Amino acid sequence: MTTGSIHNRDAFLNRIADRLGRNRVRSAPMLERLHRPELDVYKDFSQDELLSVFKNACQNIHTDVYETTAEALGARLSETIHALGGGPVVCGADPRFREYGLDPVLEEEEVFIWDPSLGPVNIEKAAAANIGLAFSDVTLAESGTVAFFHDKWRSRSVGLLPTQSIVIVPKHTLVPRLTQAVQNIEKRADSGEAVPSYINFVSGPSNSADIEMNLVVGVHGPVRVAYIVITDR
Amino acid sequence: MKVSLFITCLSEMFYPKVGRDVTEILERLGCDVVFPEGQVCCGQPAFNSGYRKEAAKAAKQMIRAFEEADYIVTPSGSCAAMFKEYPKLFADDEEWKVRAEAVAERTYEFTQFIVDVLGVEDVGAEFHAKAVYHTSCHMTRLLGEKEAPFKLLKNVKGLQLLPLKNAYDCCGFGGTFSVKMTAISEQMVDEKISHIEESGADVLIGADNGCLMNIGGRMSRLGKPIKVMHISEVLNHRH
Amino acid sequence: MPMKIGDKPFKERVKDGVQQTFARRAVAAAQDGLRERKLNATERDEALGDWETWRRAGEEIRRHTLENLDYYLEQLSENFAARGGHVFFAETAEEAQQYIQSVIKKKNAKRIVKAKSMVTEEISLNEALEEIGCDVLESDLAEYILQLDDHDRPSHIVVPSLHKTKENIRDIFREKKGYSRSEKPEELAAFAREQLREAFLQADVGITGCNFAVADTGSIVLVTNEGNANMVATLPETFIAVMGMERLVPSWEELDVLVTLLCRSAVGQKITTYVTAITPEANNDGADGPKDFHLVIVDGGRSKALGTEFQPILHCIRCGACVNVCPVYRHIGGHAYGSIYQGPVGAVLSPILGGYEEYGELPYASSLCAACTEACPVRIPLHELLIKHRQRYVAGAGHPPAGEKLAMKAFAVGAASPPLFRLAEKLAPAVTAPLKDGDRIRKGPGPLKPWTDIRDFPAPAKDDFRKWFKAHKKEKEGGE
Repeated sequence: MTTGSIHNRDAFLNRIADRLGRNRVRSAPMLERLHRPELDVYKDFSQDELLSVFKNACQNIHTDVYETTAEALGARLSETIHALGGGPVVCGADPRFREYGLDPVLEEEEVFIWDPSLGPVNIEKAAAANIGLAFSDVTLAESGTVAFFHDKWRSRSVGLLPTQSIVIVPKHTLVPRLTQAVQNIEKRADSGEAVPSYINFVSGPSNSADIEMNLVVGVHGPVRVAYIVITDR
Repeated sequence: MKVSLFITCLSEMFYPKVGRDVTEILERLGCDVVFPEGQVCCGQPAFNSGYRKEAAKAAKQMIRAFEEADYIVTPSGSCAAMFKEYPKLFADDEEWKVRAEAVAERTYEFTQFIVDVLGVEDVGAEFHAKAVYHTSCHMTRLLGEKEAPFKLLKNVKGLQLLPLKNAYDCCGFGGTFSVKMTAISEQMVDEKISHIEESGADVLIGADNGCLMNIGGRMSRLGKPIKVMHISEVLNHRH
Repeated sequence: MPMKIGDKPFKERVKDGVQQTFARRAVAAAQDGLRERKLNATERDEALGDWETWRRAGEEIRRHTLENLDYYLEQLSENFAARGGHVFFAETAEEAQQYIQSVIKKKNAKRIVKAKSMVTEEISLNEALEEIGCDVLESDLAEYILQLDDHDRPSHIVVPSLHKTKENIRDIFREKKGYSRSEKPEELAAFAREQLREAFLQADVGITGCNFAVADTGSIVLVTNEGNANMVATLPETFIAVMGMERLVPSWEELDVLVTLLCRSAVGQKITTYVTAITPEANNDGADGPKDFHLVIVDGGRSKALGTEFQPILHCIRCGACVNVCPVYRHIGGHAYGSIYQGPVGAVLSPILGGYEEYGELPYASSLCAACTEACPVRIPLHELLIKHRQRYVAGAGHPPAGEKLAMKAFAVGAASPPLFRLAEKLAPAVTAPLKDGDRIRKGPGPLKPWTDIRDFPAPAKDDFRKWFKAHKKEKEGGE
């Protein structure tokens, strides 16, 4: 289905306007926000200061952080893959793997690269994988969060189905908190860019406290997460 | 400084000593205390039960009784909070709304008045005991006064104020709630009492007689030996 | 399952609730834990800045959104449909059910996986789907447990299976799914992970709720910890999100604020593990993600609150902070509310959505301690709304106890007349003399009886304050 549809809208919205005692609002109402505390959090922090905040935050979300230079990234990645028990490993078709010189590692570790033209095989591979590997698009220092703006090449499942997750975090992707990330999203939307159909802010492994309020780490999503921070990119 | 005392219906009917203690303390601090005879009840029981018109009748009487006052002082955070509610009660009646605002503006809970208006934190009291203080919900959350009682109690010679677990949890009084929803009220007051016992205190101090009547009444029924005192009694205790 | 839980009258439900020792201990412990976590993530988090300012930011945003709800819903639907999604506006539960049934029938779908959503419970969606022959599987750990346990109902908005011990859960898994491991939470969770993984991969349709919809891009945002909502929204070919009509934000800027308030207030986390924004993708030729995305927007009686003094209850972001500080909830538990919406927010919302006949007593189950109002991250004046319900109740919407109206009228007469009040005062000690036991009353008559059933009541004092005061003043003046 390529065209969308809307059903029953007018009666529904007319009822709302009615209850609010006025006609329908047809043009954008002004929202004057008198309180904007989100703008002050970690304001004017340097990337290094943000990295420090980030590492601290990761301690609270059961996420291991490894640091490396861009040059040593390949070795560090291999090490980490083995530390997590090795393959199978899957990753999205992300140009940054080539950019950062990681093709040899992908080859050596026999990493399956998501390929939409292969259909259901992709999900099978992801579901059977021990490790899902990805680059963070924007990283929130405050909460140890990595974020992914997905497209069909990078997929939604790579960070979700495998048992564990490795995320490569270039230092330049660090921002104070969600505020800056959404500013970026809004800017792109305003300029006419289509918002990615799946944007995921991920903070550590999945968890649940549903059983007697005991925190269990690792439920449906990855049970273990490791970040590799590139400190000079 | 002329201070008009609003004793509250509960104190007047059941704990008149509170009125005497409050009067003596304020006079000792240099106030000229007067007692408007027109005062009755702030109307809270009616208001909280949803009987707005009836509450408004009580409110009007109280406004009449107190609108000549410079300062209105009452030994109950919840009654003071009710006075602060009066302007909203008359939202549709401009004349009474203005009169209500004038009264509400000048209303203080007793400890709040001593600390915030008189600027006094040591009233020269002496009372040797191990005690806990129950923070009444309406005083802390509706009136917004959390500090004054503690500042005053800290300076009472010989008084050891112990920490109270889950101090800010409601004691289960809630006015008519205590008789309409007794099963729930019972659970709440029993938990409060268990925290009081756990603290090791011999005395329970409070600033609101509704709470004290509730906790005290239950402790009495359960045969608990803990003494219950209104803060005015403690502050008026001298060597 | 609809909004209503159980059939017993309120007083009986309270009695039942009070007697559930395990559940009560669990609730008290959960409250204590969640309260601390919230405080640590809000007022005590210095890096966050002033918590009161955050609350006001949230209040502003919600107030503006509700005041312009028609505009933002229109914008949301336009942007959602422009991306190839399908929007259905449902005034009633039945309309929502029928639409979703029709989508599923068109796809010949049988296997449905769901992530936790209160609004889908409200509209009895699972029953409607089972009616047309579907297998509906709840995938949230707590909801999965409740569903297996013969459709037990949730008892807390954030931790729905709070009333279950790990031994209960082990037994349920054993009985229903042949589980053979221990009651250790890690093992129970691992089992659920295995069981549900297959289901996610095989499902035809995924259904979730919606924490916030973003109007200016037509996006649905899910705020979770477990990862199951992501599975549900990614693997099946057809994805349906159901939202209460008030759960939206104008733009991503406001989303930021509300997600922050929600995560910190509900679970004391700076952010939950997954905050996922999903926007329709027409012609999805990727190897995952739904090919078909439906958004069902439900009124279900919410519009009844619009334009009334209850409009602020629609500001609620379903964080549960009020539930976690409520002393009444603490002692009676979630099921006693008789509604899936429990605690203070439930006591305000249930009578609006479900009527006073069914839920009119809930607003009275409160000492008006205002802990809820203090805790609400978007500053909803919850305890004031409870009083407003009581006003409606006694004005005709409900059935106040016989004699109460009369008693209040009598009170009003007395309170307006100092001489009458003084008379009552003077008579009280004499009238109550026969009831006295020392300085107490242990067996009270009429309205006093509920009090004296469990508490002593002070005997009206014989000393007259006003007399004392007059004498005291005279003495002072004489002395000066």
